[in-house]
Amino acid sequence: MFHIKPILSSLMRSKSAPILLLLQIILSVAIVSNASFIINERLSLMQRESGYAEEQILTFSMYNFDPAIDNMKQNQVDQQILRSLPNVIDASYSNMLPLSDSGWMDRYVDGPDADTAKGTPGFAFYLGNEHLLNVMGAKLIAGRNFTADEINTSLDDSGMMALVSQPLAKAFWGEESPLGKTMYQGAQAVTIIGVVDKLQGAWIDHENFEYSVIQNIDFGGSSSNKSYMVRALPEHIPALEETIRKALHAENPNRVLDHFQTLSEMKNLTYSNHRLMATVLSIMVILLLLITALGLTGMVMFNIQRRTKQIGTRRALGAKKRDIIQYFMVENYMICIVGGVIGGMLALVLGQQLMSLYSLPMVPVIYPIVSVIGLLVVTTLAVIIPATKAANISPAMATRSV
Amino acid sequence: MFFYYCDLAWRSIRKTPMLSMLMVLAISIGIGITITTLNVYKTMSYNPAGERSEVINSVQLWSQGLDTWDEFISSITYTDAMNLRNNAELSVKAATYRTGLALQSDNPKIEPVLQSVRVTDRDFFKIFSVPFLYGSYWDANVDLRPAYQVVISQKLNLRFFEGKNSVGKTVFLDRKPYQIVGVIEDWNPQPKYYDPLNGAFNDAEEIFIPFSLTAQEEFDVWGNTSGWQFEPMLTYSDRLASEKVWIQFWTELNSEDEKQNYQSWLTRYVEQQRAIGRFTDTAKTPAEAVQISDIDKWLEDNNVVPKDNKILVGLSLLFLSVCLVNILGLLLTKFLKRAPEVGVRRAIGASRGQIFSQYMVEVGMIGFIGGVVGLLWAWGSLTALHSYFSMDQSVTGLDASMWVITPLIAISTAVLAGVYPAWVVCRTKPSVYLKTQ
Repeated sequence: MFHIKPILSSLMRSKSAPILLLLQIILSVAIVSNASFIINERLSLMQRESGYAEEQILTFSMYNFDPAIDNMKQNQVDQQILRSLPNVIDASYSNMLPLSDSGWMDRYVDGPDADTAKGTPGFAFYLGNEHLLNVMGAKLIAGRNFTADEINTSLDDSGMMALVSQPLAKAFWGEESPLGKTMYQGAQAVTIIGVVDKLQGAWIDHENFEYSVIQNIDFGGSSSNKSYMVRALPEHIPALEETIRKALHAENPNRVLDHFQTLSEMKNLTYSNHRLMATVLSIMVILLLLITALGLTGMVMFNIQRRTKQIGTRRALGAKKRDIIQYFMVENYMICIVGGVIGGMLALVLGQQLMSLYSLPMVPVIYPIVSVIGLLVVTTLAVIIPATKAANISPAMATRSV
Repeated sequence: MFFYYCDLAWRSIRKTPMLSMLMVLAISIGIGITITTLNVYKTMSYNPAGERSEVINSVQLWSQGLDTWDEFISSITYTDAMNLRNNAELSVKAATYRTGLALQSDNPKIEPVLQSVRVTDRDFFKIFSVPFLYGSYWDANVDLRPAYQVVISQKLNLRFFEGKNSVGKTVFLDRKPYQIVGVIEDWNPQPKYYDPLNGAFNDAEEIFIPFSLTAQEEFDVWGNTSGWQFEPMLTYSDRLASEKVWIQFWTELNSEDEKQNYQSWLTRYVEQQRAIGRFTDTAKTPAEAVQISDIDKWLEDNNVVPKDNKILVGLSLLFLSVCLVNILGLLLTKFLKRAPEVGVRRAIGASRGQIFSQYMVEVGMIGFIGGVVGLLWAWGSLTALHSYFSMDQSVTGLDASMWVITPLIAISTAVLAGVYPAWVVCRTKPSVYLKTQ
C-alpha cells in the first residue's frame, strides 16, 4: 500500500544520493547514541545527593606561620571563636573537605593480626570532633555521635571511635549492624558507634566515593595548615567571610586565611569537568541533528525540482496530493530505517571500542533505539515541508516545456 | 583562468544562497568543533621539554610490598630520595616536592602572603633550564649542608623589591630569614611537566628553597603522600622514616649508555635495599623494580591529557565526517542540476579537465569560506570554555599550529566532498542535454 517497490526501484536507479543520505544517518546514529549515553551518565553523576547541607557550609583554610604558636591550643580557641560568632550555627575543624578532590583515604581491618585480618574497602577518612556531624548536616541513622569528652587529639591515642557511612557498612557487613564492632588500624582498636545515612568522600570519580568514616580525633593541632567548616543559613554566608577574618586575625595576626567557599561552590568546581563534557556533547548532538535536518531538506528540495516533471505527470495521471507527500516520506523513512539499523550496530561497536580504550561502561541498546526514533522525527520535520511543496505542483507542469 | 573560475564559482554560490549558506554552515560547524577539541588536545599533550625530552628523566622505584599497588607510583620515599641524592653515580640530580610558606620582607607595608614553594636541589634549575634574571642557584655545598637561601620569581621581586636586583637581600618565610641568591625570569611551563601530580595546568611556584632544609624545617607537603601499609605519621621524623612516597626525583641522562649504566646501578641499589629488608615485593626482579621515564612517558603515565578529551577528539572527527557526507550530497544534487549547462559548455568546446577544475574551484571556495567561519566558531567556543568553565588560558588559547591545520582540514574536507560530484558532472555527455533543450 505504501508503493515500496516503485520507490525502491527509483532509488536504485540513482544510487549515489540515497547512499550518501544513508551514510549520514548511519554516522549520526552512531554519534548521537554514544554522545547521549555519555551525557546521561555525567548528568546522573552530577545529580547524586551529597548528603551535606551544601548551601549552608562555608569552608576555608588557615595557615599559621607564627613559630611561637601552640597549634593544639590555638585550634581549640579558634573553634570556640567561630562557634560564638553571630549567625553561626556550628563550626568544626576537619582534616579534609568533602567533594574537594583532595584528602585522606584509609582502610580498617577486622583483626589485630595483619596477616589474617580482612580489610574494608578504602574510605574517605574524616577526623573531627563531636560538632563535625552537625556542621556537615549529615543524618545519623543508627547509634550515636561522639560526646565532647571522647574526643582525642592525636592519632595514637586510645579510645578510638568511628561513625561509618551506610554504603560502607552495607559493603562490608551486609545486613548485619556494624554498631559495636571493633576494627583495627595496625594494633590500634576502633569501635564503631554510629552509622550515617550519606557521607560522600572527596573524590567524585572514585568507585568508593560513598564510603566514608569519621573518627573522633580533633587533629587540628598537628599541623599549621588546616581547614575549617562553618555552618550558617545561606543568607548569612556572604557576610560571614569578613566576620571570620576579623575575629581570627584579632586573635592572632600571624596567619593566612584563604580559599573561602561554600560547599556548593566547591561541588560546582569539582564537577566542572563533567558539566563541561555534558555541555559540549549536548551542543554536538543538537548541531548534528540540525545539520542532518538541513542537509536532508536541501537534498529533498533539489530532488523535487529535478523531478518536477515526473510529479506533474503523476498528478495528471490521477495521483492525489497525499500520494506525492507519502511518496517522499516513505522514501526517506526507508533510508532512515536502514541507516538506523546499521548505525545502531555501528554505535554498539563504537561503544565497545570506547569501553575497551577508556574503560567506559557499555552503551545500552536503548540509546541507539532512541536515537533512531529521534532521527525519524527529524526526518519527518525535514521532509514534510519540501514534500508538501512538491504536492502543490500543478499537473499542468507536466505538459509544459516538453 | 583561475580568476575567471573564481568569478564563476562566486556567481554560482550566489545563485543558490540558501544552499550555499547551508554548505558553509555545515563545513564551518564541523571544522569549528574539530579545531576546538584538537586545540585543547594539542595544548594539553604539548611536551614543554622539547628536544630535551629524552635527556630529562625521572626515577620510579617499586618500593611497595607484595599485593599492594599494581603499578609504579610517580613519587619515591624520603629514604630513597636521600640515597639517590647522595650517590655519586649521577652528576646531575634533583629531588623535589611542593610546600607552602608565608612570605614577608623587611618592608612592613607589604602584607604577608601564603605562597606555594618548591623544595628542591640546585640541579633542578639546570635540568629544567630555568632562566635567571639576577644571580644564580645556590652553591653545591648547600645541597649537603643546609643553608637558608632562596630563589624567587621576577614577579615577587617586582612586588617586594620594585624589580631591582635583590640578590643578597633577605625575605622571611614563616618568619625565618632566607637570603636571596637568585631571581628567575618568568617561567611557567604548561603543562607543568616537572610536577603534574597536583594539577598539570597549575602555575609554576615562585619560590625555590633547598631540599637539604627538609629534615630540620619540617615543611608541610602540599601534594600527594601515598602509603601502601599502615604507618601512622605522628611526627615529621615518622614521615621521613616511613615507606610513604611523596618526592619526585629527576636526573639528566645524555645517552643510551648512561641510561643503561644508571639502570644497572639502580638494580644493584634495589638488591642492596632488599638485603636490609625493604622492597619486599619479590614477585618483581630487582631490574623490574626500577623505572626510568623520559618526559614523554612521564606525561603519558600521569594522564596529563584526560581521557574525556580523547573521546571528544574522536567524536568531533566523526562529526566532521557527517558534515563531509552532508556537503557531498548537497554538492552532488547542486551540480547535477546544472548538468544541462555543462552539456552546452562541453558542446562548444570545454574539455572535461576544464569543467572539473571549474567545479573544484567552486568547492575550494566553499571550503575556504567554511574554514574561515569555522575558525571563528573555534575561537568563540574556546573563549566560552575559558569564561564559563574556568578552563585555563594556556589550554584555550588558539595554538599557532591551528592557523595551518584549519585551512588544511577545511580544504581537504571540501576537496574530499567535491571530487566525486565534480567528476560526475564533468562526465556529462553533451548530446543528452542538447537533445532535451
